[in-house]
Amino acid sequence: MSTQLSYGELATLMKSCAGLTVDPQLLETRPDATFEEFGLDSLGLLAIVGELENRYGTPIEPGAESSKTPGDFLDVINTSLTTGA
Amino acid sequence: MRERATGHGRGAVITGLGIVAPNGVGTDAYWKAVREGMTFLDELSREGCEHFPLRVAGQVRGFEPGAVIEERYLVQTDRFSHFAMAAADLAVEDALLPAAEMSPFAVGVVTAAGSGGGEFGQRELQQLWGKGPRYVGPYQSIAWFYAASTGQISIRGGFKGPCGVVANDEAGGLDAIAHACRSIRRGADAMVVGAAEAPLAPYSIVCQLGYEEMSLAREPGRAYLPFTEDARGFAPGEGGAMLVVEEEGAALRRGARVRGRIIGHAATFTGPSQWERSREGLAQAIRVALADADCAPEEIDVVFADALGVPAADRAEALALTDALGTHGRRVPVTAPKTGFGRAYCAAPALDVAAAVLAMEHRVVPPTPYVTDVCHDLDLVTGTSRSAEPRTALVLSRGLMGCNAALVLRGPEGDN
Repeated sequence: MSTQLSYGELATLMKSCAGLTVDPQLLETRPDATFEEFGLDSLGLLAIVGELENRYGTPIEPGAESSKTPGDFLDVINTSLTTGA
Repeated sequence: MRERATGHGRGAVITGLGIVAPNGVGTDAYWKAVREGMTFLDELSREGCEHFPLRVAGQVRGFEPGAVIEERYLVQTDRFSHFAMAAADLAVEDALLPAAEMSPFAVGVVTAAGSGGGEFGQRELQQLWGKGPRYVGPYQSIAWFYAASTGQISIRGGFKGPCGVVANDEAGGLDAIAHACRSIRRGADAMVVGAAEAPLAPYSIVCQLGYEEMSLAREPGRAYLPFTEDARGFAPGEGGAMLVVEEEGAALRRGARVRGRIIGHAATFTGPSQWERSREGLAQAIRVALADADCAPEEIDVVFADALGVPAADRAEALALTDALGTHGRRVPVTAPKTGFGRAYCAAPALDVAAAVLAMEHRVVPPTPYVTDVCHDLDLVTGTSRSAEPRTALVLSRGLMGCNAALVLRGPEGDN
């Protein structure tokens, strides 16, 4: 199941792509908190989507970059990775 | 009819200075270097620049962006915005501006920039042709844009008042300050204003190599010698200066320390590299700025010259001073501290404004580093700083693309 994105990996991406230090456990316990609350703006999320597409060599389903919360984002990404959309 | 940038009613005072320059980070370090005429031009050592014909520049060293700017801003900004954000912090701190207690809509931001985010842009463009469009990050869309610094200072500081960017050549550094004064006249209480540039990335330097006015001298002591027989162009520099400019009444009510006032400005245009014509352009800018300031030529106590270092341009500037100031133009002390650390495009006149405020505060006219034998008819201060009591300063700037500007500043004691 290496092609499933975890909250820990999301936190790492938020750091590398958007310069944000976020506790992965906080993402996991508050999946419905908004990215805005974590300080992530739309360009930062777009950077994360681009990084994932390059990493997995597969396009991510359109709309992932407009996810509002970590929970929604992981749902979209993991669905996309599972189905290879 | 033009709208007066300065003038009666809501006057504009300078209450904070913030500087990141090759000759010092922070106002104290900068002023010490400027006052003593210390020299900071040296071998261009930026990676990727080893084989360029440009060999001498003024580089900011000892500035660690990560120590003063949060990572979330660093990842999405270029070096020129790092300078601008750091200088803005220093200016706001110097002004003791109680931004958290003010309405966010009362504080605005204006910057000028010419070079933009060359280092960031180069990195992303290398990704583009090296690996493909998927490897260009989204922050490229904002980081290399010359407006980036205004936006980031505004977002980071929570300043939601009137924000703008002046893209007007080197002289834009003065025009931005005049624009801030206009915003204050229209109702803003405070403006964070200035200019910062980082034009020493390889890509940016390649863009400048076409400028005939840039000095390709190989020795720092010979690179930038305006107003001399040895003038052979200017040495580029990097860095920036930001100011806090406030509405005078608001500043006084909160007990702010007034460091200077902006009393006059004008801008003209005489065409790219038309240095003989810049004589008339500069003279007219000076005349209109003096009229704007309600100031007689004899009241000018010091001139911070544009000092391009190109013989025709230097001659035009010296002549413009007498055209606009009469015989006083030959007697008034003239200085160009920027010869010590390079000409940082839009940031150059902003750094000169800071130097002018400090010169009036400390009652000296700082010298023009490296310069000794002046071959034009003007009183250029060289060697060591000169004791004086400057109350009114004239700052001049010209751009390589033909913009000219003049700004008149007065010391904090005011008109009476």
